[in-house]
Amino acid sequence: MEEILFGIGISALAGALATVAGAAEDTESDIGSQGDPNSQVQLAPQMGYIHRIYNKAVSGEPPAYGLWVALAAGIAWALMAIQYNAILALIIGSAVAVFVQGVYATTAYLGRTASLAKFEQPVYIDILKSVTTVTMAHAFVAVFTTVTMCFLIIEALGHPFPLPLMGIVWGIALGAAGSATGNPFYGKERQYQKYAFGAGLPISASGDIVRYAEAGQRSSLDNGWFTSKGAGPASGICFGLIVFFELWRTILFEPFAAGWGAVIAGAVIIIVFMVIDRFVETWARKTYGPYTTETEEEATA
Amino acid sequence: MSVKIEASEGGMDHNTMLGIGLIGALVCIYLVYLNTLMSTEVFAFFGGLAAVIALWWGTDSIKNLCSYGLGTGVPSAGMIALGSGVVAMLFATKLAGISPLLVPVGCVIVAAILGAILGFISDKVLNMNIPVMTRMIAELTVVGSLTMLGFTAMVAGTFSFGDLITGATSVFGVEIASYAASVIGGCVLATIFMLGAIAIQHPFNACLGPNESWDRTQMCALECGFLSMIGVSVMSLAFLSLPAVVISFAISIILWGWSYSELIKLSKRDAFAWLDAQPIREVGGEQ
Repeated sequence: MEEILFGIGISALAGALATVAGAAEDTESDIGSQGDPNSQVQLAPQMGYIHRIYNKAVSGEPPAYGLWVALAAGIAWALMAIQYNAILALIIGSAVAVFVQGVYATTAYLGRTASLAKFEQPVYIDILKSVTTVTMAHAFVAVFTTVTMCFLIIEALGHPFPLPLMGIVWGIALGAAGSATGNPFYGKERQYQKYAFGAGLPISASGDIVRYAEAGQRSSLDNGWFTSKGAGPASGICFGLIVFFELWRTILFEPFAAGWGAVIAGAVIIIVFMVIDRFVETWARKTYGPYTTETEEEATA
Repeated sequence: MSVKIEASEGGMDHNTMLGIGLIGALVCIYLVYLNTLMSTEVFAFFGGLAAVIALWWGTDSIKNLCSYGLGTGVPSAGMIALGSGVVAMLFATKLAGISPLLVPVGCVIVAAILGAILGFISDKVLNMNIPVMTRMIAELTVVGSLTMLGFTAMVAGTFSFGDLITGATSVFGVEIASYAASVIGGCVLATIFMLGAIAIQHPFNACLGPNESWDRTQMCALECGFLSMIGVSVMSLAFLSLPAVVISFAISIILWGWSYSELIKLSKRDAFAWLDAQPIREVGGEQ
């Protein structure tokens, strides 16, 4: 009983760390315009819309976070192998990983922007100086919490995987959670907030992203301010739930049926979530319905 | 059939790059064997240099493959290169049982065969119909396996399977052999895999666009390679003596600093304008 309570406590702690990681990861990728919203940032100058938005095209978020977290985990593992203090090792690992992330971010911005010279998109050096450091700070929070979570899972729950392998697995999961949950807030809403909600993105509006702010010109930092309210916490809850359910079902149900209990519990959780997802989808369709033109909306109202 | 779009004009011929990349990487990996011959660990950094040379060549292979309209396929090409390369590389390290000198050459041969099969499946069975597919996937598999082998040699100072699965942990000052403390047992390969996979896809992915230029993309490839070397040199703390780690780290930092400053110069050359805290220039889009 005591062992199970300890396990549930560690699961809760790991889930909390994952929630922070998810929130920081999504805010980082929105400030840097990584993932799928990046295609519109890339397209805008080609359609004649010169902008001052960061363009961090490293790769998709899952492989990129796979690298940052795996690198932090690899270095932390190596330092622990030569008897470094675990906390110090995790911090040094995360710091080196974030240095690598920052360098990749700058080369991505310089490379993409310099290759768009034909469309008269200049390289704005002040963006590089002010935004890169902010994405690095958010990336540090995301990477450090994820590596610490992996370390807890191995040391406290006795998971058999070595730290670098756990890092690559949970790093990819973190990137996927942020990319799938948080990015639509930035890519579909923030970039196109001047178009009516529910209109979708007409082809003619491709590349016409919002480039001016309430006062002056939109900076990528404004996007972080916007998405940290809704998208960041949503991604955090998503990743936190993934980690919590994953660990909780293993700890609680593993003693049943020679380990098959955990597998069955996992399948049941997936089915329950599929039912919830289906309900939310049909509810949203019924409530908001298909897109109607303005006159019809006025008539029904 | 897909239509080819020229990514960038000029630059070195791809076959010449293949020759330089293949021979350069093999020579550098063989130089790591000096460690065994001279009972030292200070030559480990040659493994990293081998990986960088392979990445430099692989960037051009990705560019050739992705000039057939594979925009979002660029990162995937990097993943398949390292994913198939790791199979060839692990197989080749087992050849050390016959002779350690067989490992690098065996790695290239196994990777080429494996890559050709994978390329044939993507091109003919999955019907992607890209003329250079089979050749470029084979090249990328060789690049991936050489990158893995190079970085593994750099982190461990050796490339024979037996040494990669034995590490030493110290318990109360007593050294004991342990699988969990080895390169493969500790899954340091997972980190090396990601370092190589992102480094191989990043240069072309970052520099693609109408004004992509050969020398800037290739400089970015060198920069990514040296950056990965920094990470690998820090991880080699677990396996190598301190002087060897310091030599690897110093060489990585110096070469990375040089390539990064060169890359910034080339970006400045190619950019439309290089502005600091200036407003948006309107060129015709609506306000």
